[in-house]
Amino acid sequence: MSPSPERRESLVQDKLRVLVVDDEPTLRLGFAYALSSKNTVVETAPTGRHALERIENSPFDIMILDLRMPELDGIGVIEALRGAGNEIPIILCSAALSPNAALRAIRHGVVDFLLKPVRPVDLRQIIEFILRPEKRPLPLAMKAARRRQTEEAIQILESDSTPSRQAAYWLCVFRSIRDATADEDASLLEEKVRTSMSILAFNAPTVS
Amino acid sequence: MLRLRLFYGLLTIILLLWSVGAAALLLMRDSVTRFDTRLRTDYRSIDAAQTVRTLTSTLNTHYLPSLAGPAPEIRPDRTSYDQMKQELQGKLQIIHAEEGRDANWQSVVMRLDQAFDSYFEGYESFFSGNAINRPDREKLLQFLGTQTQRLTDVTENIMTLAEEKLFSGASRLGEESGKNTLFVATLVLLGTSVAALIYFQLVRHLVDPVFSLHRSIEEIRKGNFELTLPEPGPGSEFSNVVSAFNDMAAELKVRRGESDESLTRANMVNRAILEAIPSPVFVLSNDTGIVQINPAAEELSERLGVTGRLPLKIQRILDECRENSAHFLPEDPREALLFRIHEEEFYYLPRIFRFDSENSSQSGWAVLLHNVSRIRWLDDMKTNLLSTVSHEIKTPLTGIRMVLHLLLEERSNHLDEMQKVMVASANDDCERLLVTLNSLLDLSRAESGATHLVRVPVVMKSSVARTAHLYRGAAMAKDIEVRIDEGDEDFPEVLADPIRLDEVLNNLVSNAIKHSPQGGKIIIRQCKPDAEHLRVSVIDEGPGVPEGSQSRIFERFYRAPGQKVDGVGLGLFISREIIRAHEGRIGLRERKDQLTEFYIDVPIA
Repeated sequence: MSPSPERRESLVQDKLRVLVVDDEPTLRLGFAYALSSKNTVVETAPTGRHALERIENSPFDIMILDLRMPELDGIGVIEALRGAGNEIPIILCSAALSPNAALRAIRHGVVDFLLKPVRPVDLRQIIEFILRPEKRPLPLAMKAARRRQTEEAIQILESDSTPSRQAAYWLCVFRSIRDATADEDASLLEEKVRTSMSILAFNAPTVS
Repeated sequence: MLRLRLFYGLLTIILLLWSVGAAALLLMRDSVTRFDTRLRTDYRSIDAAQTVRTLTSTLNTHYLPSLAGPAPEIRPDRTSYDQMKQELQGKLQIIHAEEGRDANWQSVVMRLDQAFDSYFEGYESFFSGNAINRPDREKLLQFLGTQTQRLTDVTENIMTLAEEKLFSGASRLGEESGKNTLFVATLVLLGTSVAALIYFQLVRHLVDPVFSLHRSIEEIRKGNFELTLPEPGPGSEFSNVVSAFNDMAAELKVRRGESDESLTRANMVNRAILEAIPSPVFVLSNDTGIVQINPAAEELSERLGVTGRLPLKIQRILDECRENSAHFLPEDPREALLFRIHEEEFYYLPRIFRFDSENSSQSGWAVLLHNVSRIRWLDDMKTNLLSTVSHEIKTPLTGIRMVLHLLLEERSNHLDEMQKVMVASANDDCERLLVTLNSLLDLSRAESGATHLVRVPVVMKSSVARTAHLYRGAAMAKDIEVRIDEGDEDFPEVLADPIRLDEVLNNLVSNAIKHSPQGGKIIIRQCKPDAEHLRVSVIDEGPGVPEGSQSRIFERFYRAPGQKVDGVGLGLFISREIIRAHEGRIGLRERKDQLTEFYIDVPIA
């Protein structure tokens, strides 16, 4: 079910299909309203299960996924999709990201985090960031990370002579993931990632 | 008194000595005189008797041969006879002078008188010349011879008697000198007994009291204050000493009574306090043997299955304390130790005090286990509640904010002025509420997170460089220069959780930027204030912390009054929590040269 690059190209010409998964009706409404345009179609799902069903029936270009949901949570959805070989880009959106969840997400190639509360402009920009990455180290590294090319991502970030604060943390996280093999190292990594959670999240340039 | 007795005793001995000497002298002289007198009188009698015999024999020799021949014509010359007779009578007088003799002597003297009478009668008839014829003459001669013989016999008697008397006198003198010896011996004996008396008196009055004083002092030293010395007689030199001693003993007894009483009281109070304390308390000797234990401690050790002993976990901490001989007085309930009793969890915060005394046998350890299970539970509840509630509020707020933002974007419908103002106001409130919620979340994170440190050796220089790099943009926005003042020194690595350390440094630098004036300068400097710590100072040119706020800036939610810079007042609190968990120090230096300096001291690895 994974969309092939050819197919995605054709879709861009058509309309961008976005699936918003959140148990909060107002947010679903808001997200849909914020993203809907003449080029974008937004569909919503209230739970993880519904999301999986939707994605089964029709392909989507990108998915905005809430982490905390009843029944099947965001990580559960990610694992189910990746288990089924679906490599759809996913934006994990949550008020707070537990380090453990973040790690699991990153390991499944989910590296785009949005921290609630989200402004409409953030939503639009993160979709741009993912679908049309700029030729700068961080967006490129993230692109590699989405393909789970951790080593490549590290190389890109290391080549950056003036890394931003966010880039520096991502480098640290990628290195930790690369070096972490045993379980006890994972807990150490958890420690390291936890305090820098907010930094890992996508932050759009401030709009006045 | 004793002095007087001593004086009298010795005086007696001296007097006795003098009298013995004097008596001996007198007796000697007396006996010599008496011997002399006796010798002289007795000798006179003997001498007289001797002379009588000589004279009569001279008379006889002179006159009697004429009687043997015929009668002469001329009368014999009687001058020498008279002379002799006178002499004889003188001697007789001498013998008579020996008065007071016994009857034997009297009779002999009487016989001597008669013999003399007869003798002189014979010579008178010789000189009368009556005997002319031969027979008469012969008869007279014979008569005179007889009388002479008689005289000789009597004088013989007298001499014998006088001699006897002389000897008897000598023996009497001997007797008397024996008596004198007895007398002197008696005196000497008397003196000796007086000396002995004085000795015993001395022992009784001088040595005995000293000995008993010594014994009493020994007793008191052993702690027997009941003892008192018997009161000596009035006037004794020891009465002062004894009464002073008894006073002292009484005083000591009272004092000890008082201290005993206060000790007993203190003991009771201690026991009551120990029993009243709901926390288990163990009092241990220096070698960790249990000295005292309160009921709570007994119960705890029983429930843990280590009746009457210190739980192993505590013992380990105590051993560490003993090694460093330091107290262990944690205050944070998060440092409490977990004990499982019947599948229930209990948290005890051990507080270990060392108490010292001058002699090491009295020093030891007191271990108080403060049950903080409930505090821990409440604390966890609070943190969880805070976190949960914040999240629960944040989720719908996110939706509201989204909607408000969309409305303000006016993508499809335009809002009239009134609507726009109201939605903008609602949006502002929403933003403020979000800031508050985030602060609450930060707080719960700080409280639950500061203890979970992963401490590794960290190069402070690179942490500082990271922070400076991180805030380059923010500093540039205010035209502030951030300078790292490194110097030439190589500083050792510190033992820290790098991410938490960065958090603290970030907070200090971000504060410095916030409070710096436009175009100001911030200096980050490292130094080594002592052997165990490395210090990082962040110095800015801002207005500084108001005097009255300095002591409170590290409190949670504290914001100096009149502060215009935004923030909720958790940054320094969280920093302090982190530094505290590192066993380091964080503080504000006294302001000088218009500079504000915040510093952290981090333990060296």
